[in-house]
This record gives sequence, C-alpha cells and structure tokens, in this order.
Amino acid sequence: MGVLENKTRARLFYRYLSKVYDQVNKFIWTEEMRTEALDLLELDRDDRVLDVGCGTGFATEGLLERVDEVHGLDQSVHQMQKAFTKFDKHGRVRFFRGDAERLPFADDAFDVVWSSGSIEYWPNPVDALVELRRVCRPGGQVLVVGPNNPQTSVMKRVADAIMLFYGEDEADRMFVEAGYDSFRHVTMGPVYSPEVAITTVAEVSAESKRADPEPLDA
Amino acid sequence: MKKSLLDILRDPLDKAELDLEVDERDGDEIVEGRLIGTETGEVYPIEDGIPNLLPPDMRDE
Repeated sequence: MGVLENKTRARLFYRYLSKVYDQVNKFIWTEEMRTEALDLLELDRDDRVLDVGCGTGFATEGLLERVDEVHGLDQSVHQMQKAFTKFDKHGRVRFFRGDAERLPFADDAFDVVWSSGSIEYWPNPVDALVELRRVCRPGGQVLVVGPNNPQTSVMKRVADAIMLFYGEDEADRMFVEAGYDSFRHVTMGPVYSPEVAITTVAEVSAESKRADPEPLDA
Repeated sequence: MKKSLLDILRDPLDKAELDLEVDERDGDEIVEGRLIGTETGEVYPIEDGIPNLLPPDMRDE
C-alpha cells in the first residue's frame, strides 16, 4: 500500500510536486511516447475528449494537436495552474476540478477518454476505470498510460513506497474487473528505458455498456 | 465555464443533473457561481471560471 493511496496526502504531495513536475516527468514520459500513445487513437477534430488527471497539461497539449477542444479534469488546482498558463483558461481547454473515481460527467459524454500518469495515484483504480468507461460513448476509446513494473530494485522500492506500478497481468485484471471486454497493452519508453510505461487502449463496446449494473441507491 | 457544459456535467455523487446559479459573468463565461445537485442539494462552487466538482469529502482545501 503506497502512501499516496490517501487522497489528502496525495493532494499535499501534488502541491509541492507541481513545481518540478514537468522537468521530472520528461525523463519517463516524453513527447515521443505521447505521440506513440496518441497514434493508438482514432481522433477526429471535433471529437469530445476528456483528459482525466490532466495535471500540468502535458498530454492535453498533445491532444490539442489532433482535436479542437479538450476537457481537462484534475483533483489539484495547483497542478492545473501550470496548465492555465500554457493554454488560455477559457479557450480550447475546459478545466474542471474533480475525482477520477467519481467523475462529474454524464454517461456517454465523450468520444475519447484519456488518462496518462494518473492511474498510479488512484486509491481504487478499478473504480476509476469503471467511471472512464461510463462517460465514454459506445464505440469510443479509453486510453490509460501508467508506469510499468520497474526493472531495477532501487526503482522497485521507490515504486512500492509511493506509487502503484503494474504490469500487463495486473492491467488485464483491472480492465476486466472494470467491465472492459476489448483492450490491448503497449509498453513504451525512451531508448534508455523502453518499457517504462504501459499504455492500455480499450474500445468501449455497446455490450459492455449494457452489462452495467443499475446504480445503487445512496 | 460556459452554460452549455450543463449538458455533460453531472453531480459526482449520484450523476443527477446540476442547477446553475451565476454570480458573475464575463461575456458567455461564468466566472463565479455555483452548481447545485438537483437530487443531493450539494453545492459545487465555480471558482475563477473553474467548476469545483470534487465530492464534498475531498473539498478540504
């Protein structure tokens, strides 16, 4: 159990992390990897796209090269402040504060739901994956980029201490449990660490939407 | 935020629709105001144009 699997601590952590995040992030999640992940999607300019855990807006920037508008959601306004300076606050990116596990959007509201570098902070990743699927229309795509199991023992210890890392087996388990019936994983990374990230792209089938249980009474 | 976003925004707690109350506008941008859950009555503030739709238990900042 990582220490960030506590949302209050996670928010404090982000507040300080956001100051250096884009510099640190470049080492593990590069523009080349972002392009490779974007290439897994079929995007039209007028697609409705949600970026869950948009943070400082690194992925949002890539998405905007392919679509006209992006909806960006993050728990932390401190992370998003960097994004506000990159994009006009009320321009092509619509910003929201919210929780990935309890998304504030209607069923089927988006054609594509993207989330990169966020799943490792979700206390209950399966719950969030269910929500990503719920807000994606039948026939739409959900894409999740997360950290692959680290290969070195030092990184493995860092990983266990602060974040949830997962390999393909664990990704399979999470996506199946979250009700996805069609997905594949691609590992990617820079040359010096070619499998540092695991990207899962899922097609949201009409069948998987119909199989949803009725929401429980509060 | 723009009013048209009400089409896709929902109460994070029960996914019911939200009512909008506006305090301040700038053109068609709503700068200050609140979104209110039509079922839960929960109030979600719009702060400097950004709707804060964090569930109440996470809104401690």
